[in-house]
Amino acid sequence: MRRRLLAAGLALWLAGCATAPPPAVPATRTLEAAPAAVLEEAMALLMARGYVIRHADVELGRLEAVIARWPGYRLRLRVAPAEAGSRLAITAHRGDRPLPPALAEPLIAALGRRLSARP
Amino acid sequence: MRRAPLAWAVLLLAGLAGCQATPSRLPEAEPPPAAACRWASPAGPAPVVAALEAEGFVIRHTEASLGLVSAERARPAVFHGAPEPDIFLLGRHGHVGGGVLVGGGLGVLDDEATGIERVSVVAGGATVRVSRDLRLFDWRGELRRARTASDAGFCRELREAIRRRAEEDA
Repeated sequence: MRRRLLAAGLALWLAGCATAPPPAVPATRTLEAAPAAVLEEAMALLMARGYVIRHADVELGRLEAVIARWPGYRLRLRVAPAEAGSRLAITAHRGDRPLPPALAEPLIAALGRRLSARP
Repeated sequence: MRRAPLAWAVLLLAGLAGCQATPSRLPEAEPPPAAACRWASPAGPAPVVAALEAEGFVIRHTEASLGLVSAERARPAVFHGAPEPDIFLLGRHGHVGGGVLVGGGLGVLDDEATGIERVSVVAGGATVRVSRDLRLFDWRGELRRARTASDAGFCRELREAIRRRAEEDA
């Protein structure tokens, strides 16, 4: 009986780990700055926090940053021109699992402050 | 007797909760990047690329309009790790450099590993900024260690290498 329980528990536990990650939901915000300026400030902000920028492209309006904190975190930024400036969307992953968009909100707020302080 | 199923249920829930653990905020480097990883310089991406390549880095990506250079370097390393149950029980550790196991699962394994450094440098404005991290993979390709590494020693050496390259190019 105990062995069956153990086997069932183990199977359930492994199934819980193996479930497919849900799709990432981005945190979004409209910022009063051009996409290139948003990417430039985002890069400076993330590097100041220790993130390594793996990829950035002004024309594509994207940036990918990683940080080697276990098990590995990855941020993806998408910036598109908008009427009032830029539309920014950030998705964050921990390992291969997406993180709630609320976690990226403080980062977007800090980015907004940096953009406001630009000459 | 009734306690056993309850204990298993608690264990199971704890396990499942562990799989779904969500941090309360996005991580930052601890310690934060050293002040030496940011300095005033008009240097552009060209001497940065040359300096990194001279240090054995492979350039993975550049974006000249942002002054970004992203690179990485792989170096052989030794993994000083605590022994794992699967290594003992399944005897899967038949690799060169295997460690010494002293009864009952006690012992320390030193094994071949690969250290991967990732670095990003932004140059092209009035300031050069550097960020870096280190990851250690064991011989099975499993990630064993990960830490941020924007430290003063690395950044000072890179700064000097960039300065030399910029002077040579001038």
